[in-house]
Amino acid sequence: MFPVTKDFLGKPAPPNYVAGLGRGASGFTTRSDIGPAREAPPGAEGSGARDGPRNARSKRGDTEAGGAAAEMYQDPDNETGLFATLPYDREDAEADRVYAAIDAKMDERRKSRREAREREELEQLQAKRPRIQDQFSDVKRQLATMSAEDWESVPEVGDLVGKHRGKGRLRKLDNDPASMRFTPVPDAALLRSQQLGGVLTAVDPMADGLTSTLAPGAADGLTTPQDGTLSTAPSSDRVDLVEMGRVRKQMLGYQLDKFSDSASGSSTVDPRGYLTGLDSMVIQSESEIADIKRARTLLHAVTSTNPKHAPGWIAAARLEEVAGKLSQARATIARGCEECAQSEDVWLEAARLNPEARAKDVLAQAVTHLPQSVKIWLQAMKLESDPKLKKRLVRKALELIPNSIVLWKTAVSLEEDPTNARILLSRAVELVPLAVELWLALARLEDYDNARKVINRARKAVPTSHEIWLAAARLEEQQPGHEDMVGTVIDRAVHFFSEKGDIMSRDQWLKEAEQCEQNEFPLTCQAIVRATIGLDVDPEDQEATWLDDAEQCTSRGSIQTARAIYAHAIQVFPNHQDMWLQAAFLEKNHGTADSLDELLKRAVKYCPQEEVFWLMGAKEKWLAGDVDAAREILGLAFDANPDSEQIWLAAIKLEMENRFFDNARVLLTKAREQANTPKIWMKSVMLERITQRDDAALQLLQTATAQFADFAKLWMIQGQIYEKQHHTANARTSYRHGTTHCPTSVPLWILAARLEEQVANLPIRARALLERARLLNPKTPELWVEAIRLEVQQEQRQNGTSSTASSVGRGVSGAAASQLLLAKALQECPQSGLLWAEALALAPRAQRKSRSVDAMKKCQDDPILIMAIARLFWSERKLGKARVWFGRAAKLDPDLGDTWAWWYKLEQQHGSEDQQKHVVQACVAADPHHGERWQPVAKDINHFGCSVEQKLQLVTATLESP
Amino acid sequence: MNNSTGWQVDQAILSEDDRVVVIRFGHDWDPTCMVMDETLYSVAEKTKNFAVYYLVDITQVPDFNKMYELYDPCTVMFFFRNKHIMVDLGTGNNNKIVWSIEDKQEMIDLVETVYRGARKGRGLVVSPKDYSTKYKY
Repeated sequence: MFPVTKDFLGKPAPPNYVAGLGRGASGFTTRSDIGPAREAPPGAEGSGARDGPRNARSKRGDTEAGGAAAEMYQDPDNETGLFATLPYDREDAEADRVYAAIDAKMDERRKSRREAREREELEQLQAKRPRIQDQFSDVKRQLATMSAEDWESVPEVGDLVGKHRGKGRLRKLDNDPASMRFTPVPDAALLRSQQLGGVLTAVDPMADGLTSTLAPGAADGLTTPQDGTLSTAPSSDRVDLVEMGRVRKQMLGYQLDKFSDSASGSSTVDPRGYLTGLDSMVIQSESEIADIKRARTLLHAVTSTNPKHAPGWIAAARLEEVAGKLSQARATIARGCEECAQSEDVWLEAARLNPEARAKDVLAQAVTHLPQSVKIWLQAMKLESDPKLKKRLVRKALELIPNSIVLWKTAVSLEEDPTNARILLSRAVELVPLAVELWLALARLEDYDNARKVINRARKAVPTSHEIWLAAARLEEQQPGHEDMVGTVIDRAVHFFSEKGDIMSRDQWLKEAEQCEQNEFPLTCQAIVRATIGLDVDPEDQEATWLDDAEQCTSRGSIQTARAIYAHAIQVFPNHQDMWLQAAFLEKNHGTADSLDELLKRAVKYCPQEEVFWLMGAKEKWLAGDVDAAREILGLAFDANPDSEQIWLAAIKLEMENRFFDNARVLLTKAREQANTPKIWMKSVMLERITQRDDAALQLLQTATAQFADFAKLWMIQGQIYEKQHHTANARTSYRHGTTHCPTSVPLWILAARLEEQVANLPIRARALLERARLLNPKTPELWVEAIRLEVQQEQRQNGTSSTASSVGRGVSGAAASQLLLAKALQECPQSGLLWAEALALAPRAQRKSRSVDAMKKCQDDPILIMAIARLFWSERKLGKARVWFGRAAKLDPDLGDTWAWWYKLEQQHGSEDQQKHVVQACVAADPHHGERWQPVAKDINHFGCSVEQKLQLVTATLESP
Repeated sequence: MNNSTGWQVDQAILSEDDRVVVIRFGHDWDPTCMVMDETLYSVAEKTKNFAVYYLVDITQVPDFNKMYELYDPCTVMFFFRNKHIMVDLGTGNNNKIVWSIEDKQEMIDLVETVYRGARKGRGLVVSPKDYSTKYKY
């Protein structure tokens, strides 16, 4: 509507400008008593500075002048303010005057009458709806007589509204707040009071002189009609309610009984249906009284219609028990015992419900009815505490039930004396010849010879039991000097079972073998594996199946079984190297050094062409400190594979690590002749560098690069040596050759760029190099990061800031080129943690957090990024969090040395001794090799031969604080 | 700065794009206003990066008296990009400050809070200090 001007001070407002409305503002109304802010906009009667005509005009159309909205809704028959928009001239003024005179005249004419009428109306209104002031006017007048003391004694009104209303009112009613406080009654108390009420009703009718003997709940609803109870209801309300409930229940009971004994003679109530109905009705808490009542009625119907149905009685008794009426439950189950004397469950339930002394009687009764029930005998035995009595009971039971295995076992376990037990068992196996457990127990108790006899007899009695065979094998294993018998026994067993048809599958046998291993019978275990591993496996599947089995056994911790499987497999396939390799790994992880050594020796005998075994053996020896033995093994390896690069390298490494440089040199000369590979050349150069003979190294390199021009590392080494000697031009040449021969080697490009930037101080060349590298190797985050860093450094140099410029400064100054590059880089490789870490470092401090969230979304599991975030936390002094994140990064990639170094730095600055030690130990265990900060230090020839811990210290020293 | 017409007040509010416009409605001769003006003058330079201050004489410019209920001797209101920013001062009236503030730092904090809240698009910010009577007495 009105344009915004910047220099408004001292300027006049545009015509017809309405302040506030002109900028679309609306006011507010907080206190309607001091002025309507919204109802009348400030145009109507706002300012005195308004021009004259508007004001005057508003006199006529006063109420409507405010807004067009009000005009739209006015009465069409009686329109006002129609001409408010016209100019107000003299005629209008005259007309107004005339109208005013007429109004005054009219007012004068009926003045007295009108006033009288108005007074009358007012009185009428007051009579109809009197004001409170008027109502109490007489009382108010009396207030004048009150003295100062009276006023003092007027009580405070107090807090009648608000949250404490309920309590406050209660406190007003009763002076003691504690007595008026209500707390919910616990369910247990309700149940108790209900039971109490039940007792009361049972007592009350007696006191009233009633003849019927009513135990509550038990005899209710049977045949005794209680006509007295209703009429002589006790006075207390609570008892009355209980009474009423009981009468209702009785009526229901009658009805149910009537249903069950209908005229046709057959029951109309299906007891089975009732029982399933009861099953589905779970009594969840004691408070479900209504459910208990209903269940009681149902169960009563069940027991009365079909009294020979034992589960009905048990359910009824249990219900009473749940309802808390134990005596009731006992009575019910006693009747159940009478009705269903042949059901052992009912008896057991009765014994359970009764106290111990009474339970014995119940069980004695039960035994007379059911002498063959093992359960009842066992229950009776459990109740006896005296071992002698127990034994006697068992004997009696065995007389009646001689072929119960359970009883025999109990009897044997009760015997403390082994001879007695043996006698018992020998009797038992005669009577129950099929009980394998008894046979085994007997065999265990006998000495070796007798045990063999027992087992032979058992085998005849139960020919299908493999447990007996296994027991025989174990017996042989236990007996010293009979170890070779184990295999025979197992072989016979397997033969026997395979003749009978496959009763035992291969998996079952393997499981048995593992079981034997757990019980420390390794020979039996091995014998089983040997005999059964080949069972029903197709010859072509054998290898895979066995490897699979062995792996599973290893994962379950059954090392012996796995070892046995491998041993067998190796026997069958002596030339399969992966089998040997697996077996070797098993030995390495779980076995001893000797067993591994022995296995490796055998392995190289069978597969001499396989370098891995030689190397493994040599490494084991070397790690054990036996350098000569390692050398010997490698010597043998040379005989087997004269032109193997791997073995050459291993031998050279062995010599170099042990600082026998001359030996190494001789070896290398030989190696160069026999196995002419770039790696060996590189090693030769490395050796010369380590021994500080750069010229020799350069000579070697010349030959090597002529021979292997596309091996990038050679070029790199050459360039580095020149750099060290400050031959920048030579270094540049070697890098250039390198990049032309191997354009895909990223480190070579980076080295070349660094040379240009740092040594030659030609950032433009470096930039061009990196650009070309990126062109040749698209999607390589390392190149991008290098380029970004180059830009950042250039900008810093230009700004004259130190290398530890504040992050904000870096962010702002880097906005030009480095940020541009970073954005491009992230577009090209959005998944690169390296780039994101760089982005985090470049972001201004305030944005780092949000940046890190973005980064985590893009690449969740990148150790470099996680390390960067950990450092971010560190810089915010969130040490605990930083520690956790370092831990995550280290777990994701334990080979990344940077993580360990940074972490160690954190612990050095803020951690305790223990924490430092923990990091060092974990690092040594991980043995890292990679990392942007790690590699330059670890590979530095000055640090050759340092341990991991020393390297960690060195790398950490190079790090700056985040 | 003083504004002498309603239009000028409106322009003052409209003309600022990223600063809080603080307007004191009252009279220069009023003792409460004098105290407040002293505080405003002294913080104006320090907060010039995010706030601008205007004084409006409510007799000379009565246009906003009804609209903003300007019945108190001294009223301070905050605007940001033509939006009235309310401040929860703990007094019950979030629309304006109707007393004088003597502590400069307190005033700076308040204006900064308003600025930060307004930048985030809030129409109501919570004052760093609670001005309810429980702290006053």
